[in-house]
Amino acid sequence: MKQENLLTNILIVVVAVTLAGVLGQIRRWNAEIKVEKSVQTSVTSSGQRKGPELLVKFKDGVSEDQIRTLLFSKNDVIEDVIETVSGLFSIDDLDDENPEAVAERYRSFSDLVEYAEPITEIRISSVFPEDSTPSDPLFPKQWHLNNSSGNGDIRALTAWNRTHDSENIVVAVLDTGVDYNHPDLSNNIWERPSSIPAYFDTELGAIDDRFGFNAIRNDADPMDENGHGTHVAGIIGAEGDNGIGITGINWEVQILPLKFMGANGSGTTKDAIEAINYAIERKRRGVNIRVINASWGSGVYSRALEDVIRSAAAEGILFVAAAGNSSSDNDRIPHYPSNYRLPNVISVAATDESDNLAGFSSYGGKSVHISAPGRNILSTWLGGEYKEASGTSMAAPQVAGIAALILSLDSDMGLIELKETLLKSHDPNPSFSGKLLNAGRISAAKALGE
Amino acid sequence: MRFDRHTAISSAIDDLSARLGTKSEDVATIEVVEVDFPDMALGAPVSGEVAGQMMVTGWRIILSANGKQFEYRASDSQIRLVRFEGKNLVIKG
Repeated sequence: MKQENLLTNILIVVVAVTLAGVLGQIRRWNAEIKVEKSVQTSVTSSGQRKGPELLVKFKDGVSEDQIRTLLFSKNDVIEDVIETVSGLFSIDDLDDENPEAVAERYRSFSDLVEYAEPITEIRISSVFPEDSTPSDPLFPKQWHLNNSSGNGDIRALTAWNRTHDSENIVVAVLDTGVDYNHPDLSNNIWERPSSIPAYFDTELGAIDDRFGFNAIRNDADPMDENGHGTHVAGIIGAEGDNGIGITGINWEVQILPLKFMGANGSGTTKDAIEAINYAIERKRRGVNIRVINASWGSGVYSRALEDVIRSAAAEGILFVAAAGNSSSDNDRIPHYPSNYRLPNVISVAATDESDNLAGFSSYGGKSVHISAPGRNILSTWLGGEYKEASGTSMAAPQVAGIAALILSLDSDMGLIELKETLLKSHDPNPSFSGKLLNAGRISAAKALGE
Repeated sequence: MRFDRHTAISSAIDDLSARLGTKSEDVATIEVVEVDFPDMALGAPVSGEVAGQMMVTGWRIILSANGKQFEYRASDSQIRLVRFEGKNLVIKG
């Protein structure tokens, strides 16, 4: 080859390499322009990380060209600009080296870099706002969710970093009905979809159950005349972050009111059975009823009530029941339905603001499964009002509400696994040993995988 | 109907005098104590009744007539007679 041709070829190669480099950098710059506006980085189930590995803050006065030159030399790209902190970037190391080692290399450029730190852990929860405190003005008074002056709460704030919406889960409130017009509940009341036919009972005929069932009058109006069911419903699912009143454990959920107790807060076993029968029929028709809350009871055993709750178990419906307020041992003096030994029944005792068993709460080392806050619980009441109330009535819906949160993350979870998950999700309390099957108070945070 | 302490006591006296066939003047009020009842049946369920497990503040009213004592339980929304001839009864509410 002639020397002239050789020089020409070398020149062509140099130009080509330079051009390729420039084009490559242009692609990177283009990528920089198309940065994601929110850091959606996640850790996969296998523990592999995707996306940016570092947060690097460059010193004031460092030019964009200096930054690009440094990044180019390390085969890194800017993944995101953190606009609110001047000079702060999240950086993706395309070589996927150890983030700490890469950070250390950046730190070595102390004339350019103020600090560099690896993004050590970004959980799935990062897709949620960092501050999960809802805007509801009465939230600070809901000690059971977040007790700012003590303990004993279900640690809802931590749980809400995972999820607070269970819009596809239906929780039946088997109670005095629900004030479905309450402004903090109305958006979370179940409505029968057009794809599901109206309820039909052989004896009663067709009932246009638009948003629940009244087993006392056998009609479609489950309006609460007492307040108890409205209170229970609010604990499970008062609309959250809507700027009014309180928040439920679920900010979004579908509350299905099943009314069987009247204005004085009591009812009959027969009407309870009718209402559960309705729920089972609706489940078979496709309504996603996963939980029934039963904040009521008596000392009288009913084989028929036990049988219909067993039928609910066969449909995969969890049945959360109040343990009772007699300050007594349910092992010796049974309370029903909480004492039915069925695979879907969870019996719930009540705790107070000091994380002690509430003085009124019944207990039972062989018959009461777990505890939940149940003293001075603020929730929704009739007429758009709010009220503090105490009782295992207020404890059971905490467990029912957490069940809905669990199911919102894993809708395929079966009944047995759901029950096991709930019962192991407690903050231990040695003083409950011998008084509860699981010696502790339920924790929403643990239930969602803390 | 809503009850306060005074109307609850007078309703209980009226009920007992009618039930026993005595004059209301012959019914004595032995004791009236504000208490927290364990449930919405005021801890005195009638046969076949189940009740919301919410604590209810009300009054335990002990009356005396014909040489016997009788226990009424009242809240702002109901009045019950406890173990009258072996049965709990809802008087009002």
